[in-house]
Amino acid sequence: MRVAIAEDSVLLREGLARLLQDAEIEVVGRSGDTDDLLLKVRSYEPDVAIVDIRLPPTHTDEGLRAALQIRADHPNVAVLVLSQYVEVGLALKLLSESAEGVGYLLKDRISDVDDFLESLRRVADGGSAVDPKIVSALIARQRDDDPLATLTPREREVLELMASGSSNQGIADRLVITLRAAEKYVSSIFGKLGLPSTGSESRRVLAVLTFLRS
Amino acid sequence: MVLPYVLAGVVAWWRRPDSRFGPLMVIAGFATFLSGLQWSNQALPYTIGFVFDLVPAVIFLHVFLAFPSGRLERRPERWLVGVGYLVAVGLQLVKLLLGAGGPDNLAAVVTETSAANTIEDFQLITLSAVCLAGIVLLFTGRRGSARALRRSVALLVDSFALGLVALAVLLLAGAFAWPSFVTIQRIAFGVIGLAPVAFLIGLLNARLARSSVADLLVQLHADPPPAELPALFARALRDPSVELAYWLPEFEAWADLSGLPVELPEDGSARASTLIERDGVCLAALIHDPSLNEERELLDAVSAAAGIALENGRLQADLRARLEELRGSRQRVLEAGQEERKRLERNLHDGAQQRLVALSLQLRMLEQRLGDDPESRAQIDQARQEIAASLEELRDIAHGLHPAVVTGYGLAVALESLVARAPLPVQLDVGLDERVDEPVEVAAYYVVSESLANIGKHARATKASVAIARNDGQLVVEIVDDGVGGADTEAGSGLRGLADRVEALDGRLRVWTPRGGGTRVRAELPCE
Repeated sequence: MRVAIAEDSVLLREGLARLLQDAEIEVVGRSGDTDDLLLKVRSYEPDVAIVDIRLPPTHTDEGLRAALQIRADHPNVAVLVLSQYVEVGLALKLLSESAEGVGYLLKDRISDVDDFLESLRRVADGGSAVDPKIVSALIARQRDDDPLATLTPREREVLELMASGSSNQGIADRLVITLRAAEKYVSSIFGKLGLPSTGSESRRVLAVLTFLRS
Repeated sequence: MVLPYVLAGVVAWWRRPDSRFGPLMVIAGFATFLSGLQWSNQALPYTIGFVFDLVPAVIFLHVFLAFPSGRLERRPERWLVGVGYLVAVGLQLVKLLLGAGGPDNLAAVVTETSAANTIEDFQLITLSAVCLAGIVLLFTGRRGSARALRRSVALLVDSFALGLVALAVLLLAGAFAWPSFVTIQRIAFGVIGLAPVAFLIGLLNARLARSSVADLLVQLHADPPPAELPALFARALRDPSVELAYWLPEFEAWADLSGLPVELPEDGSARASTLIERDGVCLAALIHDPSLNEERELLDAVSAAAGIALENGRLQADLRARLEELRGSRQRVLEAGQEERKRLERNLHDGAQQRLVALSLQLRMLEQRLGDDPESRAQIDQARQEIAASLEELRDIAHGLHPAVVTGYGLAVALESLVARAPLPVQLDVGLDERVDEPVEVAAYYVVSESLANIGKHARATKASVAIARNDGQLVVEIVDDGVGGADTEAGSGLRGLADRVEALDGRLRVWTPRGGGTRVRAELPCE
């Protein structure tokens, strides 16, 4: 796997690069701003671009704009956006077009190396990664006649993993259940929430997030 | 004839020492008296009386034209009166020398009666013409002058000017020996004899004018715009030509309301001015008809009222300027605070938070190299948890300092997160396509976040709604809940702080919170 990193904090950028290299992932570009990142993405066509959401010069929305641009211009390059804050609105904005090959994680996740690498690989394969904090915020959101109340605790766990972008296999591995059991949970949840079943797992993420948002 | 003029003259002199009109009336009275001496049987008084025979006709004209200042303001008036005196006195002396008036004439040199008669006819006709010309001057002079407005009094005085017509007719009757001479004489003397009463009323009219000052005070109390002040003063002074000049101390010059320079008239010119002072400081000047100088009391009263009004206006302007300044400084303080918070948030985000994330990462890599020493791994794990907790705390602090997501992505995105975290179901409706000014967005964000926090803490509501809309150059933020109402809007509450924030942007925060009827918070923030 080949990765480009855009992060203006040198300490973090180098730490991240080292972590990736240790996992035998090739870091093809290290950028401090979006112009350089876009240049490297054009030049090297990496599998994933890891982008800090706040980048120079204004430290406002440069990172997100670069991520969306990469998804539009380079369909083969996935993006994983890192943020210091959990912003539901921001995650939804990033994923609003498509959740395919898109991830949004809190920076803290980097140090949970195994989880982080798994999310990275999933995104690189065209899947999605949504920070668990975002998912739990959305699930905890207060609703009138809460349809989530009809879910069993186990189904809730599955829903959270599903919304984070986990595949059925991923869910099965995480909850230590069989793949068939995971699939049963998923279809039961879709039934209870009245969601139409979707083909790909990333479309499933979007459907679930949209449901949770409304 | 003598008595009314002398008495009226004395009263006028006493009440209006500055005016020459009083003395003029007294002189007119004495002149009439002197002309009356011609009825004497003794030679000397008769001769004196003869000299003054026609003087009353001219001096009455003089009196009428000189009302009310006692001066002949215009050149034609002076000429006319001069010619009158010349004809009445000069030719009378010639007549005396020619032996007119019979045996008691002490000054007769020759006796040329027919020549004297011719001169007399000329005198009478000329003086008649002078009187008629005087009436014309009187009425043309009234028009457009300050006196025009004082219609009632002017009318009274002018009606007595008809006496001059009677006088003119009388002179003609004398010249052509009309049979009705005596009747005309009675009418003429009657009218002219009563005229001093009218003069006196006219002169002392200032007392009546006081009530116009009272009206002025009432009108000034209503705080009229500066542009209307001259008209009000004009009405009070009954001088439509009144202008107002403002003193500009910083330029040491006079100017009108539009700022154009104004020259104050000099003494003795066709206009006069009265300074308006307050506490010894000159504020402005009234430029008016010089005849008003005769009514010192009225002028003083009006300029005192004007002084109060102008001082009020100045104080108000000053207050407004200070308010504006205060509003500006409140906004600057708020903006400076906001900038500082933004800077701190940036510093935290780019500094401590990044370092902690990097540190956590380093610890993690160290842990991997450490091998299987369970005690060391546990300690490192402990350290990483500490870092995670610190990061969490820092995040809350930084987010509380400044909602960076508002700056970066606007209200819609920021409110989405806010509503997701709210402790009750919130219906969010953001009718906003584009970004607005950052201070407005941040204020709107705080209004929503503080209101939702209040609802969570106090309202015991089951649901709430947040609506953002753009309406008529305003961003309208409305938060409604179905809770218990009766929210505390007093000082020290979060709502007061919000009001400060909103008002500093020239906006308005309103709260409806009837007990048991839910709470509605509405902020209106101006935005282009």
